[in-house]
Amino acid sequence: MDYTKSQDVLRALLQIWADFSSRLDALPLIDKLNRGKFRIEDYKILLMNHRQQVVEGGRWIARAASSIDDRYFELRSKFMTHCVTEHRDFRMLEQNYVSLGGTMEEIQKGEKNIGTEALNAFMFHRASQPNPFDLLGAMFIIEGLGQNKAGEWGRMIRDQLGLKDEQVSFLLYHADHDDGHMDEFEEALKSGILEIPGMGQAIVKTAKIVARLYLLQIDEIDNF
Amino acid sequence: MKDVYINGLGAFLPGPPVSSAEMEEYIGRVNGHPSPSRAFVLRQNKIKTRHYAFGRERGKPYSVSEMAALAVKHAADASEITLQDITFLATSTTVGDLILPGTASHTHAALGIPPIEIASFQSVCASSLMAIKSGYLQVKAGEHACVAACGSDFPSRYFTPGFYEGTAVIKEDGTLPMEIDFLRFTLSDGAGAFIIENKPNTLVPSFKIHWIDLRSYADRFETCMMAGGVRHGDETAFWGDFESPAAAAQAGALMLTQDFALLKRMIPVWVSHYLSLIDQGKIKIDAINHLCSHYSSHSLRVETIKLLKKAGAMIDEDKWFSNLYSKGNTGTASIFIMLEELGRSRALKSGEFILCHVPESGRCLNGFMLLEVV
Repeated sequence: MDYTKSQDVLRALLQIWADFSSRLDALPLIDKLNRGKFRIEDYKILLMNHRQQVVEGGRWIARAASSIDDRYFELRSKFMTHCVTEHRDFRMLEQNYVSLGGTMEEIQKGEKNIGTEALNAFMFHRASQPNPFDLLGAMFIIEGLGQNKAGEWGRMIRDQLGLKDEQVSFLLYHADHDDGHMDEFEEALKSGILEIPGMGQAIVKTAKIVARLYLLQIDEIDNF
Repeated sequence: MKDVYINGLGAFLPGPPVSSAEMEEYIGRVNGHPSPSRAFVLRQNKIKTRHYAFGRERGKPYSVSEMAALAVKHAADASEITLQDITFLATSTTVGDLILPGTASHTHAALGIPPIEIASFQSVCASSLMAIKSGYLQVKAGEHACVAACGSDFPSRYFTPGFYEGTAVIKEDGTLPMEIDFLRFTLSDGAGAFIIENKPNTLVPSFKIHWIDLRSYADRFETCMMAGGVRHGDETAFWGDFESPAAAAQAGALMLTQDFALLKRMIPVWVSHYLSLIDQGKIKIDAINHLCSHYSSHSLRVETIKLLKKAGAMIDEDKWFSNLYSKGNTGTASIFIMLEELGRSRALKSGEFILCHVPESGRCLNGFMLLEVV
């Protein structure tokens, strides 16, 4: 497969997504949630661990934008806009944590778990390469989580723990606001980047790596 | 290796078609209450009529093996062989009449033909493809020249009030919770069969089997559809481990249940199987003329189409064929019954390709079969 057509790339990404999302459900923390056995401690641990990755989101997108040269000027604008919408996200997550009785200091001082370290290092490594459009593969996985999983998790956590909407707002917000991102994603794929030799293949590979590292991050909760 | 052809298709649907309004006259009302879930479930699945094997019109119920044998007879009638030509019989069912021996033994007995080789397959909907694949491989390998594969299900016998009343699952108001009640308004009874041979028919069209691809994703999914056990937290208690069959029944271990939220999480995985077959070149979207997909409810069709469109892998909706709405969801019999009606209701032309799809939520299984009209 040479992945020169956007549909070929999308098809490959959807297969990676299906594998990823079904394996995600088998991880202990998510399995617990699906079985209705989530505790408030579990939610706090999830937020604490997740925050350490989310806080870097705006940064790696900004780094990627700065690696895009002027031939792809329009796409650079898109990366920058995307960065602005993402880079305040972790504030909402922190508020959710505080609303559960945690302190701002605790969550802000939190350490990255070993999976988050690996994921983060990979993202910054790729974002530092010239024209790192393969990161669209990473975005597909991460945005997919927002669009397809966050809402379901947010509602389950709210209902299981008897919380208010504003205590799970980070998860619910992503489910409500990531819709447009997928259309932008398809536009980006069709913008001509697939004419760059090997780019389709690179997008698919980066998606696979990010999916694997994301699973690692959730599997290695609290392993510092 | 031989080429393999489906040369006769048969369906058996017991009794008259039953309208949605009449359903509870057949499966009954639990503790005398009309089901609170009925209207919602029927809006979701859009099934208008179905059949039940209680056999009121003849004074005694059908059995799974009897319906299977009747479907095999109809398939043989529609082909150029007689029942005596069959040397291998593969059956599939969700729950057979007896715990043991297997359904193929009883179906062979009901057919009344001389000694043959048999194989009994048991799972949920996709056991149909296991039986067809077994027959296909027997012919392909040259072990047999003429085989029958069939699917037969009688779930409604487990939907009557006595299976629920007095058990632990009944709610305070005497009704069933939605997750248990909704299968009662989803599944119904019937059987279907194929005659499979190593050469095509001489007079009427045949379906050449190109391949059958079945894949289990049980490595990553919990049990979604279950009968014979009851979940206690992380553990499943099997009916045989209770102190008595009566205690198992009281705990709700004998009823058929399905976790609908879990089912929905399986859709991307099923679609992914389809996409992988496109990537392998086994499915060419533009070459498919008819798609028979055994979705269990119309709402799942809608969700699947959304995903297929996103992947640029959609087969035009006018090529889709389903008789779910008139024949009901007959589980393992569905794909046989669907193909049988497709053959009668659409003018199929030589060289056309038919893609069949059977997903199974039981513990996440998915299968495809590619046929060519010859």
